[in-house]
Amino acid sequence: MRKIAALFVGAWVVVVAFPYLWVLAASFKTQKELIDPRSFLFVPTLDNWREVVASGIGDSVVSSVIVGVATVTISALVAVPGAYAIARWRAGGEVARFGILLSEVLPPAVLVVPLFLFALNLGLRDTLAAVIASHLTFVLPVMTWFMVGFFDGVPRELEEQALVDGHGRIGAFVKVVLPQVLPGIGAAVIFGFVLSWNDLFYALILAGGNERTLPVAIASYNTFRGVELGQMAVAILISVVPVLIASFVVQKRLIRGISRGGLKV
Amino acid sequence: MASVRLEALAKWYGDVEAVKAIDLVVPDGQFTVLVGPSGCGKTSTLRMIAGLEEASGGRIFIDDRDVTKLPPKDRDTAMVFQNYALYPHMRVRDNIAFGLRARRVPDDEVRRRVVWAADLLDLGGLLDRKPGALSGGQQQRVAIGRAIVREPAVFLFDEPLSNLDAKLRVEMRTELLRIQRQLKATVVYVTHDQEEAMSLSDVMVVMREGRIAQQGPPAEVYARPDSEFVGAFIGSPAMNLLDGTVADGRLVAGVIIADVAPSDRGVVRVGIRPEEIVLASSIEADEPAVTFDATVELIEALGPRVVLSLVPPHGSPMTAVIEARSAAALREGATARMAVRHDALHVFPARHQD
Repeated sequence: MRKIAALFVGAWVVVVAFPYLWVLAASFKTQKELIDPRSFLFVPTLDNWREVVASGIGDSVVSSVIVGVATVTISALVAVPGAYAIARWRAGGEVARFGILLSEVLPPAVLVVPLFLFALNLGLRDTLAAVIASHLTFVLPVMTWFMVGFFDGVPRELEEQALVDGHGRIGAFVKVVLPQVLPGIGAAVIFGFVLSWNDLFYALILAGGNERTLPVAIASYNTFRGVELGQMAVAILISVVPVLIASFVVQKRLIRGISRGGLKV
Repeated sequence: MASVRLEALAKWYGDVEAVKAIDLVVPDGQFTVLVGPSGCGKTSTLRMIAGLEEASGGRIFIDDRDVTKLPPKDRDTAMVFQNYALYPHMRVRDNIAFGLRARRVPDDEVRRRVVWAADLLDLGGLLDRKPGALSGGQQQRVAIGRAIVREPAVFLFDEPLSNLDAKLRVEMRTELLRIQRQLKATVVYVTHDQEEAMSLSDVMVVMREGRIAQQGPPAEVYARPDSEFVGAFIGSPAMNLLDGTVADGRLVAGVIIADVAPSDRGVVRVGIRPEEIVLASSIEADEPAVTFDATVELIEALGPRVVLSLVPPHGSPMTAVIEARSAAALREGATARMAVRHDALHVFPARHQD
């Protein structure tokens, strides 16, 4: 039994790991080697890496970080009190718990036109501020929903104890409730950051010119003269590795947050 | 310490009236227990005293200070919850000190009081642990410690022993009583366990469906229940309750036939405490008592006493508790001659609903 399980897991690892390994190999190949499917053996070259670094990918990384950090900071500031209100005070009734996710159901194409017009009229087109605003539309609800699950897990008595012990509502929240959900906030922040980090659609349309985020930069290797696969592979690695690491860090809490948020109605 | 006074205190949850305008005085320095079946309003009452629930009507006084509208922090109460509600992210030491720090007590005073409470509750070795590393009994002690360091006007306990196993529960009961006596604390204690209520209370308040059914010293409530409900709820094994009728001052309830006060009449329920059913041979011939024969169906030995399941020739079966020594001659299946003194017959008007 154990052997069969190990076999399955092994096979699954190959399936999951293969694209990453392929991309990793591609980043060290020449364009000629890349289009030759028989090139299992090749002489690794750092040319792609030199090209990509020289092309100013660093600026895109900085842009993506700025957008991600700003998005999760604003989201956390709103989501934490919002989720607390929904979990503890039934704000919005049971509808709010799931209704908050409605905006996730909307296809981004519905929102992007009005957002684009807003950005245009406010003079924010091709700025990171516009991208941040658009990312808030999907990061904020997810983080709120996520945090509701964590606040549900804090026994009401803890807060009541703090009230009797001499704190007001805010004191009880800050001193007693908040420390219980800190790990959840951490997980939600990382999760929200990854969502923002991965977005291509809004970033491309709202700021596809000078202020390119990393996914936009990656997409730009798809040029009129063909796909620069080798350089694209380098950019993809730069983009994907932080997400991989973040996923390992948050996976346990991610599952807890999602199952709590979903099950407790 | 202080007294607590409730005046026409009421609580509504939507259309449900959980507490129906109760009046109650909790005397200074005494152990008052609110007891009743679940849903009787005892916990709502406690939570209103703490300020965790808003009163829908009536007023709450702590030492003549009207606290009805005050937030919990300004009422000077301390509470111990059923699940202890220890702050999981703080060490025991900080848990105990939390309320003092919230009230900005100077640091050296905090340290002194934490040590004092730890000594009183035998928590010395646990001060630097987190609550997660403590057993249920230890968590309970920390919760009590956190309450007593505050030296509050009133202690509020919400079923604090329910999560402990039976043996520990009895030990903690004794300990609670010891601490209460030592501090001369005013305590309001909520439980659904009548035995706990009997053993702890100076004043026992039996509640039912949002009202106070009866209050008084536990021995008195036990000996003279006002109603069938109180009689049946308090005491273990439960009071025997027989259907009967009274006509012309004569009570007939199965084998129980006796003269009673003429104020009782019509269809009644007769309550008899199990320990009031005794062997006929153990009472004096001139004592006013009812005697009857009954088959001894079962004999359960409880050590010093035995529980008899009695089946009289007609009427409902009864439970009797007698001294093990005097039960030596009884055999299961045999007939025994039993007796009930007249003053042990509690006659209640028959209840219509249930």
